[in-house]
This record gives sequence, structure tokens and C-alpha cells, in this order.
Amino acid sequence: MTPAAPVPPAPGTGGALAWRSPAARSAAKYRAIFATQLAQTAAYPADVAARSLSIVVFMWVFIHLWRATYEAAGQSQVAGLTLAQTLWYLVLAETIVLSKPRPAAAIAEAVKDGSIAYQLNKPYSFLLYHFSVGLGDSLVRMVGNLVAGGALVWWVAGPPPDPRGWPLVLVAMTLAWAIDFGMVALIGLLGFVTEEVAAFEWIYSKVLFLFGGLLIPLDFFPDGLRTVAERLPFAYTLYGPARLFVTPDVDRFAHLVTGQLLWLALVGGLAAAAYRAGVRRLTINGG
Amino acid sequence: MAAIRVRDLRKTFAAKRKAAGLRGSLAALWRPEHDTVQAVDGIGFEMEPGELLGFIGPNGAGKSTTIKILTGILYPTAGDVDVLGFVPWQARRDLAFHIGTVFGQRPQLWYHLPAVDTFQLFGKIYELDDAVVRRRIDALADAFDIRHLLLTPVRKLSLGQRMRCEVAASLLHQPRLLLLDEPSIGLDVVAKQRIRDTIRHLNAAEGVGVLLTSHDAGDIESLCKRVIIVNHGRIVYDDKVSTLKRQFLTSKRVEVRYAESMPAGFTVEGTEILKVGKGGYGVKLAFDTRRTPVEAVVARLAAAGTLVDMTIEDPTLEEVIRAIYETARPHAGAGDGEASAAVATAGAVGEPPGAAP
Ligand SMILES: Nc1ncnc2c1ncn2[C@@H]1O[C@H](COP(=O)(O)OP(=O)(O)O)[C@@H](O)[C@H]1O
Ligand SMILES: [Mg+2]
Repeated sequence: MTPAAPVPPAPGTGGALAWRSPAARSAAKYRAIFATQLAQTAAYPADVAARSLSIVVFMWVFIHLWRATYEAAGQSQVAGLTLAQTLWYLVLAETIVLSKPRPAAAIAEAVKDGSIAYQLNKPYSFLLYHFSVGLGDSLVRMVGNLVAGGALVWWVAGPPPDPRGWPLVLVAMTLAWAIDFGMVALIGLLGFVTEEVAAFEWIYSKVLFLFGGLLIPLDFFPDGLRTVAERLPFAYTLYGPARLFVTPDVDRFAHLVTGQLLWLALVGGLAAAAYRAGVRRLTINGG
Repeated sequence: MAAIRVRDLRKTFAAKRKAAGLRGSLAALWRPEHDTVQAVDGIGFEMEPGELLGFIGPNGAGKSTTIKILTGILYPTAGDVDVLGFVPWQARRDLAFHIGTVFGQRPQLWYHLPAVDTFQLFGKIYELDDAVVRRRIDALADAFDIRHLLLTPVRKLSLGQRMRCEVAASLLHQPRLLLLDEPSIGLDVVAKQRIRDTIRHLNAAEGVGVLLTSHDAGDIESLCKRVIIVNHGRIVYDDKVSTLKRQFLTSKRVEVRYAESMPAGFTVEGTEILKVGKGGYGVKLAFDTRRTPVEAVVARLAAAGTLVDMTIEDPTLEEVIRAIYETARPHAGAGDGEASAAVATAGAVGEPPGAAP
């Protein structure tokens, strides 16, 4: 038989890439998936811009609401935050929410249209595939939202908080992103069992808005409610990173990241277990 | 060693049953009732490395279920399966490196990006060297005639163009076995033919084994040497395509149009007139190639008047299956010893459900 094409080294055995460790080859895989999604999202700059417009609208409403609130209170600080700090907090929280990945929709869609068959038939982890896709999708929109929302608030309320805190915020936001991914992936995995997952996702996002402090920072909550809310994963997704952004300090950061890692381990473990159960069910019952 | 070995494969699905109306929904929630569907009912076959094997059957016959079990994304209810030395559902990811899959119209190419981006991504996913991927894309671009399509966003491709790219993508890692579930569904005749030609070419050039399902006998006829026909989860035929053609694709249906009107009571020797259209211009007739050769029928039709148009159709898959069942039944009285022998080689011929005495 005359090969019409160059024969690649035996796949899966490393072949020409055998000199690279399995971990490095695996990392290259997910980096490529991430980069491909990044390219796909970035292929629609108009779409990204339109989405960034919504943060401008939301922030415009917030600016008016909170200005009125601070005027009514007649104080420059409420619950320990100035108006400018509250607005920068809200920009960050809104950015996180408006750039959230959509693994639930993606997984449910894959189950419904049958492309799950491909995703289970490739040599990668199903969850890490969606993780990489989500990260690529989020990153583009996050940049768009941060720039658009930040520009408006800068113009209205002055410059952002101390840039020396930004690297810490970036770490916290990454962990926050991962916790949210885990939660939404869990909901998406319900798609292996029920047809519709949109309702569950809707409920989750409303709970996240409320207990995460999207509309009102947790500082403004009554004490009892605040104590409870601060310990829930939602606060580690929204309130934590946004609050760190306005008053960065190492203690706050350490406390936040510890909590985030704990929640991440729990949610990640649950998602992995749910995936195993789900895929077992799927492979027995069919899609 | 066989590339695929399947023995007594069975798959039963439990489908939730729901009575009509709100009461039915509530009852189903409270205590779901299950209907069982026997999707695959004792299938067994072997496929040699590099073979081009057709797997055909009407909708619901169990083709997709079988393919899904072979790729490892479905557990069988019972039976043994060996694909390239792997038990698919136990080693799905290891097996994935050695097989390529195409599932009908489901997309695996990234919709908003040019196909070449997906190709490059697959290169990483299958852990291939960049230089190897480049050369491979180059070779596939020629083989599938898709070089001019590779840089166009997939969403702008026609279905036929997209399917050529889809099949090419599934071959990027040079799998030893390609499993195609209805790759030609929804395609027009020309696009179908192009896909078939390319698959045949790659099979010959690279020795990749191809198992291909279809509910259209025509797909297999021009592509495979051997065909398995399934119906209701069972194999009803497993033999050469040429034998199938000779024995079961013999009843042809012909439609002709004449420039002038044919007289009432119009007949053509060796054929059965099914219908003469209003005015006598259009005629439908049927004949059996074992009794009357095609050329004789064409000559006689042409002699009868000025032909304007003519189409010859093969029997439908359902008709073929009915014919197979009829010859398999000893009391059917067809007396065609050769046909029953061929069917018997299938070794798994069953009576149609409900036909058992
Ligand atoms: N996940 C499933 N749950 C219940 N029944 C199923 C499922 N998948 C397939 N079936 C049933 O199994 C039978 C065979 O289906 P399939 O293998 O898709 O047939 P084909 O691909 O030959 O058209 C059909 O009756 C179909 O309705
Ligand atoms: Mg099918």
C-alpha cells in the first residue's frame, strides 16, 4: 500500500512528542482549546462590543441610584465605602457576572444536538474541555466589559483604586471564575438527565446576584444576613474579588483565597463526581 | 487479526412512557413507567483491517446504536466487542487515538472559524507534531479537494462542502479505522458521490478501514464490497454487494415520457406496466433484470416511440429487506437455491418480528 500522506507517529504513544511529558502534552491540548475559543469569540468584535454596551447601561443606572443614596444619607461614606469605591466595586462585580462562562448551556446543547458524541470520543477530559472553552469565551468579554464599564466610572467617579492591588485581584478573579464554572457545570451536567437546564441556571444566577452582592455590596447588608452571605460560595465569586479591588490588602487577600480554594475543591469535586455519574448514565441510557 | 469483532451484541433502552395530559405527566413523575426498546438484538460480525464495510438498514434499525457502542460512548446490554484490540467502553480515550468518527450532520468543526483552525486544534488534541499536522492538512486538502475551503468560516460552507471538511477532520490523526454514521444524509447526488469517491480513494491509499452506515442502499452499492443489512436490531444479510445486487436489487422501476401519445393497452414485452399517465405520454413500468436485461427493456421502450425522458430506480431498502425475508423462508417457494445459500452465509438471518409461526 502506498501512503498518500505522511504517516504521523503512532498517536497516543507520544510519537515525535514523546520527549514532552504527558502533563505538558495535556496542557498544550487545553491551551489550544482555550485559544481556539478565544479566536471564535474574538471573531465577532461587534458582538463583544454590543455586550459591553450593556455594562454601560447598567452602570449608568447604578451611578444615578447610588448618587441619590449617598446624597440622601448626607455622608461621604456609607457602610465604610465612598461613592467612588461603591461604583468601582460594582464595575468589577458586573464584569464578573456579565463575562460568566456558559458551560450549562454548552453542555445541554451538546447533549441535545448529539455533538456530545464527538466530545466523548476525543482524547481529552470532557470537563476540562468545557473549562478551556469557557475561559476563552469569558476572557474576551471580560476585557470588553472592564474597559467599557471602567471608562464610564472613571469619567464619573475618578480613577480606579490602587493598581498595586490589581495582581491580587486577578488571582482572586481567576479563582472566582473557576468556582462559578464549577457551579454552572454542575447545572449543565443535569442536562445528562433532564432536557431543560435553563431554569436551574436562572435560579442559580438570581441567588448569585443576591448573595454575591451584585446589586448591593454585602457591607450594606444587615449583620446577620451578611455573616451568612459571606460564608457562601456566591460571596467568593462576586463580593470577594470586587471588594478586594476597592481596598486591596494582603490579609483580606489571604482570607479570600483560602475560602476560594476550599469552595473550589468542594465544587470541583462535586462536578467531577457528577460527571462520572452522568456519563455512566448517558452511556447506559443513551443520549 | 480482525479490526472489529462483535459477538451477540444486544442493547436494550428503557424509554420513559408518559400517558397523555397533566394526569399522565404527574403519574410519570410519581412513578415513571418504562417501555423497553430492543435497539440491537444479537448482532455479530467481523471486519478485516482496511475493509470497506457498509452497514445499512431502515430508520430505527439499530445502526447508530451499534456505532456508538463500537466507539465506546454506549455500554451494551450484552455481548462482546473488540475494536482494534480495545473493549471500547472500557478504553474510550485510548481507542479515540486510533479511530475517526463522523456522526451524520452533527458538527465537530468550529462553526464560526475556518476549518483549518479545527484541523490545527485536532493536531494538538491528538498530540501530533506541528510539522506532521501541516503536511497532513496539505495531503487531506488535496484528497478531499477542500484547499479553497479551508480558510472560509465553516458557517459559510454548503452542507456538501462542510461534510467533506468534517470527514477530512476525522482523518487528521490518520486513524486505522473510520466509523461513519450516515455521512451522506441530506446531501445531493453530486455531493454524495464526491464523498464516496474520496472515502474509497483514502481507503485504497492509506488502508484505513471504513465502516459506514446508511439507510440508502445506493450509498453502499458504489462504495463497499461487502454489506451488512440490519432490520429491527438483527442482521438479515451479510455478504458481497455484488451478490446483493444480483439477487435482490433486480426489480427495477422505470418511468418514461414520450413525445407522442401511446395507445391504450400499451405493453412492453418482459415488463409489467404499472401506470399509463393521462394522455398516454408518461408510462411507469417494472421489470426484473433476471428475466429481462436492462438493455432489452431500453431498446423496446425506444422502439415504441420518441423518448423524451427516462429514469430507472432501484427497489427501496424496505423492498429489498422484504425480498430477503421471502427468500429466507423455506416455504416461500421462490426456489432460488443460490439466493437462500447467500442469505444463509449471513448466519444470523431471523424471521421478521411477528412473522414467526
Ligand atoms: N437513548 C435512547 N433511548 C431510548 N430509545 C432509543 C435511544 N436511542 C435509540 N433508541 C431506539 O433504538 C432503536 C434504534 O435506534 P438507532 O440505533 O438510532 O437506529 P438507526 O440509527 O438505525 O436509525 C430505535 O427504535 C430508537 O428509537
Ligand atoms: Mg441513525
